[in-house]
Amino acid sequence: MAKNKNKTYFDRVHSWGRISTITALCALLMFPIGICLYLNVFPPINGILAGLLKLIPTYWTVAVVEVIVYTPMLGAGGTYLSFVTGNIANLKLPCAINAMEGANVKANSEEGEVVSTIAIATSSIVTTIILAIGVIIFAPFLQAFTDNALLKPAFAQVLPALFGALGAGYFIKHWRISFFPIIVMIIVLIFSGSMGASTLLFVGIVASVGGALFMYKKGMLDRVK
Amino acid sequence: MDFKYSTALYLIAGAVILFVLAQSVFFLIKAYKQGRTLGLDKSKLRNAITSSALFTIPSALSILATIIALVPALGPVIPWVRLSVIGNLMYETTAAEAAMEAFGHEGGMAVAVSDPEVYAGVAWVMTLGICFSLVILPFLAKPLHKKILQAGKKEAPKAEATENAPADGKKKRSLNGFINDFATPAIFIGLIGAFIARAIIGSGKPETFGDGAGVLSIITLVVAIVVSIALEVLAKKLKLAWLEPFVMPIGMIIAMVAAIVFFNILPEEIAMLEWRG
Repeated sequence: MAKNKNKTYFDRVHSWGRISTITALCALLMFPIGICLYLNVFPPINGILAGLLKLIPTYWTVAVVEVIVYTPMLGAGGTYLSFVTGNIANLKLPCAINAMEGANVKANSEEGEVVSTIAIATSSIVTTIILAIGVIIFAPFLQAFTDNALLKPAFAQVLPALFGALGAGYFIKHWRISFFPIIVMIIVLIFSGSMGASTLLFVGIVASVGGALFMYKKGMLDRVK
Repeated sequence: MDFKYSTALYLIAGAVILFVLAQSVFFLIKAYKQGRTLGLDKSKLRNAITSSALFTIPSALSILATIIALVPALGPVIPWVRLSVIGNLMYETTAAEAAMEAFGHEGGMAVAVSDPEVYAGVAWVMTLGICFSLVILPFLAKPLHKKILQAGKKEAPKAEATENAPADGKKKRSLNGFINDFATPAIFIGLIGAFIARAIIGSGKPETFGDGAGVLSIITLVVAIVVSIALEVLAKKLKLAWLEPFVMPIGMIIAMVAAIVFFNILPEEIAMLEWRG
């Protein structure tokens, strides 16, 4: 078959996306390498592997699921950008949907592709700038701020605050599938209270996905989408 | 000076982040030009930029709050890079905890990492743990995207036919249907639920305050959930679309303020009570 010299916009986006993803991966790996070289320390491989073993079963599975689930919704350019800059479910995806609705274009059309990419690129730029300003300008105060005796109880409780607020929206929308995994994890913690977060969340995800799949197959989620 | 705050670490992080910023700018320019080629109005494209920027601000502030939350344990540089590249509110705190556990760092997020070797190890674990999507994306994105574009063309007449078909009371429940509609929410609920269950009944080190479930963790959790749900209901009932993106950051901040208030007004033995250490 003759090779088409006139690549479509989608083809070009995929070429740029592939190149930029691989270079972003290399840049990202330079970060721990840079830290090791600067601090002149080389942490034992065993420790790194032990930490990774706790994350890989969940995170790498989630990575595969996320690529499959989000790619159709984000468009080509949006997918590459979103996976490099992160915060997809809580920021990039709603942002792209919001912009496509505002511009009155369909997802998976070329117009939708363009608007989604513009939305996600803008969102990534704004997030990166806000984080950079926040960290660089406030860095000298961050330590004092988080060590402040009055504020310390608040920072000690940041995880319940963060996950309570983040969970509220999910629980309203998906309350049917929320009870089972939380009850399972509470029971697990009753018997093994100091179980690490990573092991516990693996248990939680298995219970949550397993419970939801069971309810789905039994038709208990038919009216929900 | 604490090594976690050194200028060189900021420069290493800055270089990585600058690269990611350049990528976003590149895609923005290319998409904007393509939009103009397709005949999309300049005003439409500019609106997409403005509304996306505004939409992003509250979430970006809550991401900044997560960075601040990780600062006492890890300093600002690792959280900054991890939440600017691939990072996610949920994953990073979990990854940091797992990494600290693996290197025998006791007390978790409540105790600062002071050993450079543990610090570097945490950076490795957090980076390698999260980067898998970038490894598979170059192989999967294009075929998936093509499939979706083709399916979209075939799906339109099929959807119409389904709508017109008589209901026989039996809905087909395929694994694909489950993955499309419920797999991601179920995974998120598993992740979020792990931290909620820990705030209810998890145990910490007896000598460390704030790492185990107790009066203050329950108060914070309940306030966060109640305030967020109340704001979400308010935004929907009063049709306050502008409020919706602020629900999560406001809920989180009010819950943290509640922790400070209750810590100071409750008798010390109650405020510091952690049922399992």
